[in-house]
Amino acid sequence: MSLTSPTDRPPTATAPTGDVGGPVGAGVRPAGPTRRRQGPLWLMTPGGLLLLVVVVVPFVLALWMSVTDLDQYTLRQWAGAPFLGLGNYVEAVTTGPLLHSVWLSVAFSVLTTVLTLPLGLAAAFAAHDRFRGRALVRSIFLIPYVLPTFVVGTVWRIALGPDGAVNTVLGSVGIAGGNWLIGDRTFWTLVLVDTWAAWPFVYLLCLAGLQSIGREVHEAVAVDGATWWQKTVHIVLPSLRGPLLLAVIIATLHHLNNFTLPFVLFGSPAPDQVNVLPLAIYSASFQTFRFGLAAAMSVASLVLVLIPLLFYLRAVRLDTGLEKGAQA
Amino acid sequence: MTAGMQATDRRRSGVDATAILPPGLRRAVIAVLVLLVLAPCAYILVASLMPDIEVASGAVVPSSVTLENWVAIWTTVPLAQGLGVSLLVCGVVAVLSALLAVATAYVLVRFTFVGRITFLRALVGLQSVPGTLLLLPLFVVYASAPTYLGITVVGTTWGLMITYLTFALPFATWVMVTYLRGMPVELEEAGLLDGLSRIGVLRRIVLPLSAPGLIVAAIFSFLLGWNDVLFASVLTQPRTRTAAVVLQAFGASQEGGALPLYGQVMSSAVVCAAPVVVLYLIFQRYLVGGLTGGLK
Repeated sequence: MSLTSPTDRPPTATAPTGDVGGPVGAGVRPAGPTRRRQGPLWLMTPGGLLLLVVVVVPFVLALWMSVTDLDQYTLRQWAGAPFLGLGNYVEAVTTGPLLHSVWLSVAFSVLTTVLTLPLGLAAAFAAHDRFRGRALVRSIFLIPYVLPTFVVGTVWRIALGPDGAVNTVLGSVGIAGGNWLIGDRTFWTLVLVDTWAAWPFVYLLCLAGLQSIGREVHEAVAVDGATWWQKTVHIVLPSLRGPLLLAVIIATLHHLNNFTLPFVLFGSPAPDQVNVLPLAIYSASFQTFRFGLAAAMSVASLVLVLIPLLFYLRAVRLDTGLEKGAQA
Repeated sequence: MTAGMQATDRRRSGVDATAILPPGLRRAVIAVLVLLVLAPCAYILVASLMPDIEVASGAVVPSSVTLENWVAIWTTVPLAQGLGVSLLVCGVVAVLSALLAVATAYVLVRFTFVGRITFLRALVGLQSVPGTLLLLPLFVVYASAPTYLGITVVGTTWGLMITYLTFALPFATWVMVTYLRGMPVELEEAGLLDGLSRIGVLRRIVLPLSAPGLIVAAIFSFLLGWNDVLFASVLTQPRTRTAAVVLQAFGASQEGGALPLYGQVMSSAVVCAAPVVVLYLIFQRYLVGGLTGGLK
């Protein structure tokens, strides 16, 4: 089963061989894997125009802004802002928060991804087996993923306050809660709340992977008399390598780009311990109005995102929509 | 897996061969995870029924239950207006992005042209471009529109619409690409034989047949707009604030106040989550497949 397909249909209608196109002839060609050359390409213009205006032009502008000294005074005549060369990049690395934020973002993404893996796997294993009420359990597992991030952030922010519900519960079992939203612990607050919200994604990908293990494999294992642990380690986990890899890459990308959760939990400017890259860029843009510096940092964040993204692009077979791992 | 198959299976072997975990462990895992999910959710619902002061003092069990918050939120915060803006913007984005996505995907799947693979690659890549990279330059572009084109973009609902529409397009198109790939071409060929034009085929054959894919694309586009705080916080003015920004600002403004209105924040949070939860419940069957199709 293709992980990307919204249905269970195998995407065989267009095989990768069809890309060269058949001989050009008049009228209709026989059905098959052949793709035609003379297409109504104009159908792509509205989408293409939008992408040009809202993504490509701003992207080029971001590159240009990152080498200028653009701030709230020069914004009105932004085309004439003084040229700085690599000055913003140098400042971001030396006196700016860039290195600290990159480190925080990477640590946050890796930790959250690592923490969500066992939760998502355990959930997928449990929800894969047949039992009464399975559909309900599957729906419940999706709730944290379904809730909008700004709702999750708002609610946890209140619950994690000094006199909030979390500390009440902790206090009732004799643990002094303390401060979750200021001070050294904030980083772990962010990791834990994001873990709570993000594990269902791993669960979904793993569950889809589990469902693609053939029934005969299960029966062969049962005949062999393997224990559940042996089955898990030697049969199930190896066959989940593809979905797990995909989950790790996508989750890492998602955590790296997560602006909403830290922003809603801690506000902006954020405490130093949670000043992850998206927040640092946001506050450089809209609190200190150092637009050039912010642009330089956002270009750096793109470079950071490119690392998992390149892995992702390699893992997805563009022409068939099948992940390589899904077939292994 | 039908109920019938399940029954015969159980009769035959007595044990479910496809099971992975032993029943005891499975129950333990489910119990822990369900508690992990439901405890905070139950708290949100309970807290939305508690007086503000009890939520602020960290009460978990309410001493009294009241519907006051649910009444008060409509006057203390412009929540209704925020919901209206969000519904309008996201609704328009959902419909337009599904339609644009199916048109674009149709060309990408059924025809070949120079740059096709690059475009497909860009569709995947664009889903993970950091929003913070584009926010500021996009703001500059929009802010220059009055000077160069004589139209105002910043602070308008349609400015928000084009922004979300564009960011929703890569994923929506990707969903439709995977969907159309699975659709047999024979029906389209038959349509061409019957004298339909390419556009006729798209309108009369592809569009109706790809309804499940369109639903997934539309809902994810809707959610992208509904869940966004980053762009809405900069591109809106008080009158065009989305529900997300209204809730975020409401929550943040209560900190340090003499009497934080936390009970009301909780009810507002439930209100903001409700449309999304309802959408998922209705379309769960379609969405679970689509969820794994790309980045959130």
